[in-house]
Amino acid sequence: MNVVIVGNGLAGTLAAKTIRELDDNVEIEIFGEERYPYYPRPNLIEYLAGRLPSTKLFAFPEGWAERQRIVVRLGEKVTRIRPGERKIETVSGLERFYDVLLLATGARAALPRVEGIAQPGVFVLRTLDDANGLIDHLGTHKRVAVLGGGLLGLEIARAIRSRDAEVSVIEYFDRLLPRQLDPAAAAILKSHFEKSGISVRLATVVREVLGSGAVQGLRFESGDRLEADTVIVAAGIVPDVGPAKDAGLEVGRGIVVDDLLRTSVPTVFAAGDVAEHRGRIHGIIPAAFEQARAAAYGMLGQNKPYGGTVPFNTLKVAGLYLTSVGEIDAQGEGYEALVRSLPEAGLYKKIVLRGGRLVGGIWMGTKKGAAEISRLVAAEKHVEALKKDLLEDDFDFSEIT
Amino acid sequence: MDKYECTACGYIYDPAAGDPDNGIPAGTRFEDLPDTWVCPQCGVPKDLFVKIG
Repeated sequence: MNVVIVGNGLAGTLAAKTIRELDDNVEIEIFGEERYPYYPRPNLIEYLAGRLPSTKLFAFPEGWAERQRIVVRLGEKVTRIRPGERKIETVSGLERFYDVLLLATGARAALPRVEGIAQPGVFVLRTLDDANGLIDHLGTHKRVAVLGGGLLGLEIARAIRSRDAEVSVIEYFDRLLPRQLDPAAAAILKSHFEKSGISVRLATVVREVLGSGAVQGLRFESGDRLEADTVIVAAGIVPDVGPAKDAGLEVGRGIVVDDLLRTSVPTVFAAGDVAEHRGRIHGIIPAAFEQARAAAYGMLGQNKPYGGTVPFNTLKVAGLYLTSVGEIDAQGEGYEALVRSLPEAGLYKKIVLRGGRLVGGIWMGTKKGAAEISRLVAAEKHVEALKKDLLEDDFDFSEIT
Repeated sequence: MDKYECTACGYIYDPAAGDPDNGIPAGTRFEDLPDTWVCPQCGVPKDLFVKIG
């Protein structure tokens, strides 16, 4: 049996690994558009910050794929899928027959439609080539504007700051991490960034990237300008559906898959950032991993349904732990919010109750108690009697059963 | 004691440090981590780690 996998990122690689663990005899061949063996994408941030040498980017030791008898073709973008004949074609003219195909082509960085965005000096950070191009440019260009105050934008800003660049983060919403934080917590995070020398502009709409052939700055809707010689866009992802769409597979924002990760063509599966499952594109590591594993089983005919991924809700944002769960900013009748905040220390804890039951929480600047709060919110525990104590740093969660 | 790296996100488990935030004391070998332990950075299970020495 021939398994062909398109994409050598997390989903493609882990699917191949799982298939090999399940079956010794299947032929597995991966086609990767990038020229490099698989690396975990979060490593690009560490690499960009200069904390991780290029030799340590890669996840598996040299020779790993060969030992697993997984053939990996690098720099071979798949340009066409012919589901009727069960064949794929690559950019260099290779053709392969498959019994089952996995599309794990991932996503690209979204580029906002802004005048001047397509010019030298504008970067995204998605691939190792992106990172190398950016590092090279930063050697002589140190006035950086990061478009996007979400998780990736903040990580990039912090990484680049450690290269002694002058960094501004530009955010469309009126606070950082609007999905994870309430206004008070976002304000603490903002001042945490500002203290490290990163400036933050909120509620700002970019109208134009200035310059012709070399970035000179940004022009905002307000008419203000910001001088910059480097622009980095961190404004979300777009699933890379190209060949799947051309082949007539059902495509929404991503490639539509069922609970077995099958596309609209039963011999073609999809997993990872490119897959749209129950209307959602997760775009997070645990989802890519769970989908890849379920797809691997499915491709071998051992069905293992995938029911969606609950986001792992503790993150480390620019050195601060952050856990955000449930209804973090609910107000109104029946709701009660309690907060303990030490802005200087970057600490912010909040619980939201509805009728005495815990329905949401934010834990920033500490991880102690974060897992317990997540669990209590998931269970909507009645905590009325203990609500004040819950926010204390030394609270013993074993008191709640 | 060997260090292990998460192949999904690059997090390195160092037994000398353990993972105290998640109840794993310093000095715990990777092999001795409970099966329920997940990568503290990205949430994937233990079997996605590789030994890096």
